[in-house]
Amino acid sequence: MDFLKHLYEGPGILTFLIAFPLLGALAAWLVGDRSARATALVVGIVELLVSVPLFFTFDPTGTCPQSVIGRQNEGLPFAFSQLTVPFQNCTDAPWFADWGIHFRIGLDGISLFMVLLTTLLLPLMVLGSWTYIRDRQRTFYAMLLALTAGVVGVFVALDMFVFYVFWELVLIPMYFLIGVWGGKERVYAAVKFFLYTAAGSLLMLVAILYVYFRVHSVTGMSSFSYFDFMNPLAAFSAREEALLFLAFALAFAVKVPIFPFHTWLPHAHVQAPTAGSVILAGVLLKMGTYGFIRFAVPFFPDAAHAPGAVKWAMVLGVIGIIYAAMVAAVQPNAKKLVAYTSVAHLGFVILGIFAYNLIGLQGALMVMIGHGLSTPMLFFLLGMLYERRHSYEIEDFGGLAASIPVFATMLVFAAMASIGLPGTSGFVSEFLVLLGTFKTHPYVALLASTGVIFAAYYMLPMVQKVAFNALRSPANRDIPDLDRRELAILLPLVVLILWIGIYPKPFLDRMEPAALRLLATQSTRLAPPMQPMGDVAAAAPNP
Amino acid sequence: MSFFAALGRPEVLDLARQTHYFWALLPEIVLTLGAMLVLIVDVIHKGDRSEPSRGSIPVLTLAVLAATALANTALFGLRDVSANGMVAVDGFRTFTNFVYLVAAALCIAISMGYLERRGIMKGEFHALVLFATLGMMLMGGSRDLIMTFIGLEVMSVPIYVLVGFDRMDPRSSEASLKYFLLGAFSSGFFLYGIALVFGAVGSTNLTYIAETLGTGTDHGHERLLMAGMALTLVGLGFKVAAIPFHMWTPDAYDGAPTPVTALMSTGVKAAAFAAFVRIFAVAFADAGAQWVPVVWWLAAVTMVGANLVALTQGSVKRMLAYSSIAHAGYLLVALLSGGDTGKAAFLFYILAYTVMTAGAFGIVIANSRDGEERVTLEDYAGLGLEKPWLGAAFSIFLLSLAGFPLTAGFLGKLYILRAAVEGGQAQLAVILVLASLVSYFYYLRVIVVMYMRPARSEGWHAGAGLPLAARTAVLAACVVVVAMFFAGAVPMRWAEQSALSLWRQPAPVAASPAPASLFR
Amino acid sequence: MQQIPLEQALGLSALLFAIGAFGVVIRRNAIILFMCIELMLNAVNLAFVAFSPRSGVQGQVFVFFVIAVAAAEAAVGLAIIISVFRHKESVDIKNFSLLRW
Repeated sequence: MDFLKHLYEGPGILTFLIAFPLLGALAAWLVGDRSARATALVVGIVELLVSVPLFFTFDPTGTCPQSVIGRQNEGLPFAFSQLTVPFQNCTDAPWFADWGIHFRIGLDGISLFMVLLTTLLLPLMVLGSWTYIRDRQRTFYAMLLALTAGVVGVFVALDMFVFYVFWELVLIPMYFLIGVWGGKERVYAAVKFFLYTAAGSLLMLVAILYVYFRVHSVTGMSSFSYFDFMNPLAAFSAREEALLFLAFALAFAVKVPIFPFHTWLPHAHVQAPTAGSVILAGVLLKMGTYGFIRFAVPFFPDAAHAPGAVKWAMVLGVIGIIYAAMVAAVQPNAKKLVAYTSVAHLGFVILGIFAYNLIGLQGALMVMIGHGLSTPMLFFLLGMLYERRHSYEIEDFGGLAASIPVFATMLVFAAMASIGLPGTSGFVSEFLVLLGTFKTHPYVALLASTGVIFAAYYMLPMVQKVAFNALRSPANRDIPDLDRRELAILLPLVVLILWIGIYPKPFLDRMEPAALRLLATQSTRLAPPMQPMGDVAAAAPNP
Repeated sequence: MSFFAALGRPEVLDLARQTHYFWALLPEIVLTLGAMLVLIVDVIHKGDRSEPSRGSIPVLTLAVLAATALANTALFGLRDVSANGMVAVDGFRTFTNFVYLVAAALCIAISMGYLERRGIMKGEFHALVLFATLGMMLMGGSRDLIMTFIGLEVMSVPIYVLVGFDRMDPRSSEASLKYFLLGAFSSGFFLYGIALVFGAVGSTNLTYIAETLGTGTDHGHERLLMAGMALTLVGLGFKVAAIPFHMWTPDAYDGAPTPVTALMSTGVKAAAFAAFVRIFAVAFADAGAQWVPVVWWLAAVTMVGANLVALTQGSVKRMLAYSSIAHAGYLLVALLSGGDTGKAAFLFYILAYTVMTAGAFGIVIANSRDGEERVTLEDYAGLGLEKPWLGAAFSIFLLSLAGFPLTAGFLGKLYILRAAVEGGQAQLAVILVLASLVSYFYYLRVIVVMYMRPARSEGWHAGAGLPLAARTAVLAACVVVVAMFFAGAVPMRWAEQSALSLWRQPAPVAASPAPASLFR
Repeated sequence: MQQIPLEQALGLSALLFAIGAFGVVIRRNAIILFMCIELMLNAVNLAFVAFSPRSGVQGQVFVFFVIAVAAAEAAVGLAIIISVFRHKESVDIKNFSLLRW
């Protein structure tokens, strides 16, 4: 046990979680089509088993010594200037040392759950693709594993260069997953997905470089470190900061997606194979909100807290919630409907982030987790249905509760979790968001709460039409119910959804310190008017 | 290096002493002798019969290139104390020499099999590639305008022939004629520019020119110098294929045998750029106020225009031609950025660019058949699925050209961006990023077609492939492209040292025409 | 004996160069184009020689280099033109349409 604890306090574990799927991808490709899926399953299960103890050994106070990450923050007036940084399992290996690029990764209470969500979904996705994917299996599973590695990298990167690399690395496998194994309009969907995201991230690259050069010119040190990017000495002018925030925000907003940038999402979701939809909804969208929480807001607190920015974020968030609900309600295609629910849920996350209080932020994080469980479950269910009937059209179904009762039960449960029925993860999380938003923007909270009602408005008719109604079509009568493999996919999700819904404390406890610290960072950087540049430069130790 | 020291290599070169020229020109001497050897061996093999050359000729050629590379290492750490030698002895030359040698080696490697299929397997091809490489080395390593001109011609004349090497193919001949006419035309401009600079400054020695301009003394021939610089710029603009001097590029690249296209878009471009750096960023550095605005526009127009036109191309070979024009724009940004970082970024990028472009043309060759080029987009449909290795390699090269992370191209572009921002060319940096975004479209389209569209017919890709040596070369290029990302610090440091060794550090270049403070 | 002023020699050189360049732009016969290019090179030779009294004897040396290079270019260029002629029975560049300009 001591050995295990020691292992999980060490730096190697995160690197392993990134490198192992990459090696697994290579292995899956090399073993050939026949045993690729088995290899991928083994890799996925090992990855999950290795990652789970992170949850139990997690120490919210952080264990990384100051020297490991963020080299020169001593004496700087913000919350990170302690002897330890609030991260654990940190690695800091020089990569392009001359440029200040290090392979810096670490885990805190926010990334912990994103990483766990990713590693949880990986074996489930492999199982979900078990019979669904028949062509070019080895490439498929290699892509899936590489994608997982990239996503884990995004969530643990503490170096902006490393972050950007992982961020882009995620694009390519996802692009192939949609474009090669997708539906009829897969090429259009894949290219749209790629170009939207690539355009956003190039803007972010420019902003990253800009901050890098500014920090370099002010302090004389070259560093892409996450902590150095928050150096208050950089002292951007209001306009600069607004533009930089906008560049980051656009990259993330496309990924989330926030209302006017969401148009790639329905295509990508509908065309993607089940596993693609699952990872897209489950974790890829969260990369956007994670980016807001981790980077965009802490880097540019002035711009992010400006009344205009908050107002726009709130408005777009609410529009996302209500508009997506409206559109979802009229979708004849069940998969598209679920895709639009993602836009609505992520709208809640945006509200929670920009409420700028602990409850809101925790709520946003909980929505990210809850949505990462309930929506993948819906996509898995739809995928199972598709394998039986080769259709996503709602009107093709009806009365499935009679022919395949277990499936229908699961569908009802997933829909309830998605709506946010008390007792499921959705309720706790959205309630927290609304509470947090109400503190600062009561009217917005009021409007957003209608979204919960809307969710019932689009989700329940879908469930009714698919699972209940009359069993008209004979094709729906003679289909097999869920088998053991499919139950193995769904049950872990059910358990987790219920756990979070009934007893969310372990989750909230782990994320609270990190969330508080992020808020504190922003407020310390916000509050005092900047000292004259010269004074600060003189006060700061200059090694 | 002790190997050469044991052979009597002096530590410090004094070009006033004749024997020291031997050491200064060692790689060129080796290459010249090797090229002649290739010619002679081929003649001895064939006698007066008309038949394809033996397979040992390309191997011999590669051996000559390897020997030249070895001789090139003799230049490491060599210092030159004289100021008036016609050839520069510095790290910049060593670095760029390696780039030309890599380009030539890749060209020879991917031509294996291709020449036989097109029925042009002749030893002259290999000898001409070697002579063209010699020209590149002379051009990029010269420290005297007249030497630059001679190098330019020694490089260009073999290339004119190589472009038209497939005499039976009307496209090849036509491309050759177009390239020859425009090439000679631009040489005329370049030469006239040299004459005017010679008249204005009184010397063609680049060091002397730099010093004369640097002292700021009024030499009284301002307008002559301006005209000379403008004409030189036009001549070099043609050679590096910057818009609006690019008209010959797509045609010549399209019509030429593909290995020659690979050489033209890598080695020739690298040599022209090396000369560009030596002449403009070093010798004319102090006249920056005059040429920087012009080159600024050249770079901007090249990046934007080439990427936009590349979007409309239906042939992969032509698309790669426009892509190479676009990359000329990126390299011009590095050149404009000035300073050591700019030159180091230039060196790093030209190396990465050479490897990835030559590799991409290698895949184009792999997809061609007997007498059929197969370069349209539809010809590539399904390639990635039928031939996973070819598809993966091509994807890596294309992503690298697009500047995607995990490839050398990304790091190279980042390097250029960094140099540009440090050198006060933030606007060009923004244009570069936007142009790269446009380039995603057309690079991506090839990948889309390769993986997401079915092949034209069953077994369409059955014959696609390369002989073992060429396959090894392409695979090596692929590995280098990826390795240069992960272990980029090594070539980066080398590039920095090489840039530092340029014999004269120029003053910072003047600001761009529009205010250089978009950001700051 | 009176020396020809530099301005006049340069003027002639520039004029010849301009005629050559202009010819390349407007003429369509490959041989004539080639002759125009040769004219440009010779205009440069004239400029080199004209600068020589002021800037040093180098100028006259360069002329020999240029002549040698021009001869090499001529050899290759004419061969290329012949090769094209074999395909097309014409040296008019208007007829070359296999590749777009």
